[in-house]
Amino acid sequence: MQNNNQRQPDIPVVAGIPDPILEGIANGWKVREAIEVSDGSLIETDVIIIGTGAGGGTTAEILARAGLKVLMLEEGPLKSTNDFRMDEREAYRDLYQESAGRMSKDGAMSILQGRCVGGTTVINWTSSFRTPEPTLNYWSEEFGVEGFSSAEMAPWFEKMEQRLNVAPWQVQPNENNSVLARGATQLGIDWHVIPRNVSGCWNLGYCGTGCPTNAKQSMLVTTIPAALDNHSELVYSARAERLIMEGRKVLGVEVTALGHDNQPSGKRFVAKAPHVIMACGAINGPALLLRSKAPDPHKRIGKRTFFHPTTFCFAEFEQVIDPYYGAPQSIYSDHFQWLEVSGKVGYKLEVPPLQPGLTSVLLLGHGAQHFDDISKLPNLHAMIALLRDGFHPDSEGGSIELASDGTPIIDYEINDYLWDGVLRSWLTMAEIQFAAGAKAVRASHVDSPWFRSWEEAKAGISQLEFRSNAFTAGSAHCMGGLAMGEDQSRCLVDSHGKYHHLDNLYVFDGSAFPTSIGANPQLSIYGMACKQANKLLETIKASV
Amino acid sequence: MFTTSRRGFLQLSASSAAALTVGASLAGLTGCSKVPAAEGYRLLRSGDIEFLSALAPVILNKSYPGTLAAEAPVRLTKALDTLIGTLEDYSRSQLVQLLDVMQVAPIRAVMGAQWGSWSEASAEQIEAFLQDWKTSSIQLKRMGYGSLCKLLTMCWYSQPETFVSSGYPGAPKKIPA
Repeated sequence: MQNNNQRQPDIPVVAGIPDPILEGIANGWKVREAIEVSDGSLIETDVIIIGTGAGGGTTAEILARAGLKVLMLEEGPLKSTNDFRMDEREAYRDLYQESAGRMSKDGAMSILQGRCVGGTTVINWTSSFRTPEPTLNYWSEEFGVEGFSSAEMAPWFEKMEQRLNVAPWQVQPNENNSVLARGATQLGIDWHVIPRNVSGCWNLGYCGTGCPTNAKQSMLVTTIPAALDNHSELVYSARAERLIMEGRKVLGVEVTALGHDNQPSGKRFVAKAPHVIMACGAINGPALLLRSKAPDPHKRIGKRTFFHPTTFCFAEFEQVIDPYYGAPQSIYSDHFQWLEVSGKVGYKLEVPPLQPGLTSVLLLGHGAQHFDDISKLPNLHAMIALLRDGFHPDSEGGSIELASDGTPIIDYEINDYLWDGVLRSWLTMAEIQFAAGAKAVRASHVDSPWFRSWEEAKAGISQLEFRSNAFTAGSAHCMGGLAMGEDQSRCLVDSHGKYHHLDNLYVFDGSAFPTSIGANPQLSIYGMACKQANKLLETIKASV
Repeated sequence: MFTTSRRGFLQLSASSAAALTVGASLAGLTGCSKVPAAEGYRLLRSGDIEFLSALAPVILNKSYPGTLAAEAPVRLTKALDTLIGTLEDYSRSQLVQLLDVMQVAPIRAVMGAQWGSWSEASAEQIEAFLQDWKTSSIQLKRMGYGSLCKLLTMCWYSQPETFVSSGYPGAPKKIPA
């Protein structure tokens, strides 16, 4: 069956949108591709920031506006508005780590992570939540994190919410999200509207391939331009190879220039500054410190690496869902998130956008069954559960190791503790989908048939067998690996984000989280980086 | 390309869990992974292209070759070549090992593919091979199955010419300013 292939939905043509990056460069921004930097040269500056995602972008603007000369180093390419054509092939190749094919060591988890100027903020689905209060309390109690109570964090979140125009989505949710709201209402499960960081959003549904209208307030169109307007410099396609250290000081960063094939070009240069800030993510950050042989007396680099291991449940509806159109995430439920803080794993419910390439992967399997599933795409809905890892002794997350060439390997297993959550989350999602009127529901597990009723699903899902690589466990949220806290036996950076064992190295991004967040992490990173960068600024000012 | 004594073969069969990695190192010793990439490809060798082209009609079923017709194998394998080429060292080397193993007939046989060459295998045989890997108790086979299916479907269903199979009406048109 090839349904709806002649259908021409009423979708707008995107035209007349300026490209602020091309304009800025034309107006004299200091932006260079790393291969343009002379081989063996030295760049000296006030502050080096490695990585230009949520943490790096936020930090760059704050320090640059205060008058410091900031050098932003980014491993990924520079792509901007005119490049964002809503084409999965181009987007995965240009904007994602490993072309969206990043996997855990045993291949069982698929990881969506940005790799471009602006980092994951360029490709995320715009959901913006403050760090939940129980998470902040847990950090304080378990890891000795100081200054991160809900009340102490509120002004920083508020500041960044204003900066990035974060507000609950005012438009009617798309049908894919409405399923969650409708089913949950039927069952008496509470749900809410998601706050999004958008300004003048066209409601197209292509946040994941780079916003084509500049509506998403990613770092690419907000903080990075502000930093570049304030005498900062950006060098992209520049991989931080290792930190140059002497005693307790970081002197600078050795940088490899990548060619257009993303491979080392053979050119290298060195950047030096009195302050070095890492904001290169929970996978590449720990790998950089491991490659650099940074001091680590308790062997904690790359430990407690967290995802929100994410499970998927598909539903087929009689009516057209068009799950690829409209704001991808606008409804969530935390009903199953905080039943226990540190007991059985809790989870957040959301929905993902379903463009065909990504969907074909999430559906799993092959052959006639897979073809039958994908050919129903216009009538498909999917729900996801994001498991909150890191709050229980059996919940230590994964770890980062180095491959022989120094690139990261992510070792992350779904253990019995998480598997219990996987099964419960599938049951929850199936029940909600049937309550919303689904004809059939299927858990994203190779053994799962399409269930025709909630009763059938309830019996069938409980029978699904745990085998690694047999079910979809994805993640778009990489956290931890350089845990923050005052307990030095478990933590690597202090409550101000300074590396415990070095005097001038800072970590201002999600890799400092000592647990997963229990929510899409971008606003947690913005708020934390804003607080830490302002503190660093005070320290720098006091020392001159 | 590779010959083995009966004794050597039996040792391998005794533990097919180890066969994938052992096979890969044998494939490496016999020079299999030294074969240069096919013309126009960065990484895939002609044997890999034959293997992936044999899997495609079975994995992608009625959507393949679709409106791409004779162009389908090239379009798909070029997309796979690009994607595999952007994987970091560890994942890429795992995949290349898997592809190596699929080139060495005796090792391949241990792993459940008993035919002389991939282009000779029937759709039914390949289907049985995939089913075996999908449900296997051996993690390496499940990983191989999952990785191959994910990569092929991702590279296929993101091609605009296949949207007719999924019923995806396509993205809005973008006209750069």
